[in-house]
Amino acid sequence: MRKALFVGVCLAALALAAWGEEKVTITVAVYPDLDSVIEGVLPAFQALYPDIEVELEVAGYVDHHTRLLTTLAAGMGVPDMAAVEIGYIARFAAEGGLVDLSQPPYNAEAYASLFVPYAWQQAHTVDGRLIAMPADIAPATMFWRRDVFAERGVSIDEIKTWEDYIEVGRRLTYDADGDGQIDHWLVDDAATVAMILWGGHTRFFDQEGNCIVDSPRFVRAFEVAKAIREAGLDARIPAWTNEWYEAFRRGTVATAINGAWLMGHLQNWIAPETAGLWGAAQLPGGIYTQRGGTWYVIPQASDNKDAAWKLVKFLTTNPDIQLRAFEITNAFPAVQAVWEDPIFEEPVPFLGGQPARLLWKEAVQHIVGVPTNPNDAIAMEIVSDALTQVLEEGRPIAEALAEAKRLIERRTGL
Amino acid sequence: MYLLLSLVAVVTVFPFYWMFILATQAPAEIFRTPPHLWFGRSGAENYHALIRALPTFWRNMWNSIYVAIMATLTTLFFCSLGGYAFAMYDFKYKNQLFALMIATMMIPPLLGIVPYYIMMSWLGWIDKPRALYVPSMASAFGIFLLRQYIAAAVPRELLDAARIDGCSEFRIYWNIVLPLIRPGLATLGIVTFVGSWNNFLGALVVLRSREAYTLPVALRSLQGLYTTDWGAIMLGTALSILPILVVFLFASRRIIAAFAAGAGLKQ
Amino acid sequence: MSNPLGLWRRWWARRQQRYAPYLFISPFYILFFAFGLFPIGFSLVLSFHSWRAVGGLETMRWIGLENYRFLLTDPWFWQSLGNTLVLLVISGLPQHLIALPLAFLLNRRLPPRLRHLYSASYFFPYITSTVAISLVFGTIFGLHYGILNQLLEYLASAPWSRWLFGWLEGYLPINWLGKAVYIKPAIAIVVLWHWFGWNTILYLAGLQTIPREVFEAAKVDGANVWHEFWHISLPLLRPIIFFAVTMTIIGNMQLFDEPFILTGGTGGPGRAGMTVAIYLYRTAFEWTQMGVAAAMSWLLFVSIGVLSLLNYLLLGRAALARRGEE
Repeated sequence: MRKALFVGVCLAALALAAWGEEKVTITVAVYPDLDSVIEGVLPAFQALYPDIEVELEVAGYVDHHTRLLTTLAAGMGVPDMAAVEIGYIARFAAEGGLVDLSQPPYNAEAYASLFVPYAWQQAHTVDGRLIAMPADIAPATMFWRRDVFAERGVSIDEIKTWEDYIEVGRRLTYDADGDGQIDHWLVDDAATVAMILWGGHTRFFDQEGNCIVDSPRFVRAFEVAKAIREAGLDARIPAWTNEWYEAFRRGTVATAINGAWLMGHLQNWIAPETAGLWGAAQLPGGIYTQRGGTWYVIPQASDNKDAAWKLVKFLTTNPDIQLRAFEITNAFPAVQAVWEDPIFEEPVPFLGGQPARLLWKEAVQHIVGVPTNPNDAIAMEIVSDALTQVLEEGRPIAEALAEAKRLIERRTGL
Repeated sequence: MYLLLSLVAVVTVFPFYWMFILATQAPAEIFRTPPHLWFGRSGAENYHALIRALPTFWRNMWNSIYVAIMATLTTLFFCSLGGYAFAMYDFKYKNQLFALMIATMMIPPLLGIVPYYIMMSWLGWIDKPRALYVPSMASAFGIFLLRQYIAAAVPRELLDAARIDGCSEFRIYWNIVLPLIRPGLATLGIVTFVGSWNNFLGALVVLRSREAYTLPVALRSLQGLYTTDWGAIMLGTALSILPILVVFLFASRRIIAAFAAGAGLKQ
Repeated sequence: MSNPLGLWRRWWARRQQRYAPYLFISPFYILFFAFGLFPIGFSLVLSFHSWRAVGGLETMRWIGLENYRFLLTDPWFWQSLGNTLVLLVISGLPQHLIALPLAFLLNRRLPPRLRHLYSASYFFPYITSTVAISLVFGTIFGLHYGILNQLLEYLASAPWSRWLFGWLEGYLPINWLGKAVYIKPAIAIVVLWHWFGWNTILYLAGLQTIPREVFEAAKVDGANVWHEFWHISLPLLRPIIFFAVTMTIIGNMQLFDEPFILTGGTGGPGRAGMTVAIYLYRTAFEWTQMGVAAAMSWLLFVSIGVLSLLNYLLLGRAALARRGEE
């Protein structure tokens, strides 16, 4: 009798132990190059949490977001954790899709001070939910061609304000081969300048959710772009086309205002032969803004939220892991402390040995962020359209922006 | 006349040819202007980059082939049956049923992706190839196409004669009608094969693990946010065209060869 | 005299003949009920709701006809519909105007090898991947370095062609992909390139089913090439033409790939290249206004239906007749 009891207790203990050891498998949906990051840090994660298995779902950068939206819409087969980029965060911000991490048991507000301010603000929605954790960030910067500037006798220090930029731009825009047509320009497209100035994919609504596209910030953005276009300083080449790549190779565009990550593309495949000819500078006029960024989210419909949260915390709040991610992908960390690492003081060969990361470290401190509004995506479209009307058809700025505001308000109820 | 035909031929084949050129260029050379018109030397490198970034490439190719073959065989069978019925029989409600079928083609499929995903989820067909070819096995387009061909190519008298001889309806279909419409079958076959091969959105939401991907999704999964290896993508794309090329040459021979035979046979 | 087996056979044969057609078309309807009906019902119901998708199905909100009202007063919708119709005409018409004579030419006394070669090559655009298409045409339509602009520049300045093309000088270099007025022709060119071969093969296959004797007889009667084309080939091809034109209408009204590729998914400057399908896609997947998108797909369906009906009334009745019944 006692033997049976003993055996019974042993079995029960074994069962309990096994149950406690039960492996949880979480699916993590990402796009390249984040899969390399996760694979790279997985051993460290598994050492910490041996009972959590990670399954990666990898899709192309655009496709990943389409698939995520579809699975969330169906409420079935959602990944337990997903990466979302700044251009897409708006469409996932509506009620009910993503877990509010400020609530128990996550209580992620405790981490607020860890992160670069704009990344943290962007992770919130207008109604105060924390729907994401910042993974990496992308400050906007101005890349300039040292050789072109030198040839035209221009110094980068002459550009302090946007007016300077335009003035200097006149000297950088010229006809090199004398055929009567301008073939060297200041910048690729006036539209990208406007977008940088108004704040990119976000900041179309204020904290209360009112549409503010007729505010001075937008007017100024439009004015600068218009001035650039009217002076003929932009090449009017759309981004990510063959012409655009060629312009970088040949140096026909003297400056490129974009996210700091553009350097990676230039280096790897767009114009590797131009290494050493570029420099990076802060944007004129004391403007600091972002041009990208990645966050990790947890869908409400996931069955393994706790395990997923452990991985999210591991990837986003652990400075060593953030540094490791930077080493793998060159995407800048969202955790402020990581920026103190000496790696950020290193000279960057592609930029002629300039310690550009210090520049960007400075920039990220000043970037302003606002909560994400689900209507950001459509506002972006309407404002871009208004910009086209101003630049291509000469519509007055105030009129275009007022019309944009009207159109946005008309659409946002549905 | 030959000049015209040749000019058109060059225009149509050039981009295709160019794809193979690009597949052998290093990533930095792919987007060059003026473009390279002859092969580069980076074919092997691109291949290695491709396999490194996408170790399941050949598995993905096989997945695409399998799904396309299944889709083509089932579609050819069901659509020829349906087309034959609409073309050669008179039955009650025939016109209404036909009109209804045509109407279903006009419904834009773009939004169907969410309900499609819901259905496949519910059936448990996620990550399984059958989710890709079963729902569209009998397509309105195929039935319409073959109906027109059968109506134009098969004389009624032949069928009546076969019936008098005691043939069952199915045998008439299988032994008499099918051989006569080989050009139509080949046409529908290649269209279905290519359609299935290029099916991207459906494959994206239904296939989740890299081993189960078909080629379009697999190749696009190399497009990253901060990085993209265009050499690998170009080579992968060029390789992925080869099976289609094979099927196409096979099918077009059928179309052309059957012409000479069929034209003389029909009396 | 009454042979039971024979009687039974005849009864079975008649039974077969009566029910076989229903059996043969049933796979389509079964599959349609299983897989086609739900998406249709779903999008119909959805068109009366407001739904931001992310929250899952529970977050749908009934709003009645609000989506339809919005769209019918939406300048962007009407613009996209207009774009689609214009593109239908400027890309659809040339497709067939080129394919028919081409198929006819191919069908005539060409050595089979050559015919095979040419017709096979015309099919290539159909099987070329979208990645390659976007690269190639991006290079062709480029503003400063594009092949097309280079060609036009040459033609406008070379002494032998200046008299014909000189007037272009003021417009060059043409911003094909950047200016609203040029994006439609650019898209039309790509669509034409992509699809004319498909129609050619279709017509060729159709022509090949016409017995040689018909043409021989006509030639004996003294018919010339034009007569062969206009009075013999065309009428006999009517079923195929009707089919091909119907498919062009249905397909081009849902045009998505080519404009998507050329405009980078945006619909182009001033939305000049935005077809209804692109507007639908963006509304659903970029702005997550699923209800609006659903309503739009139904409005598109109505438009396609109207056009197809017109097509049927004009071309269809005779085309659907069977051989020997005309």
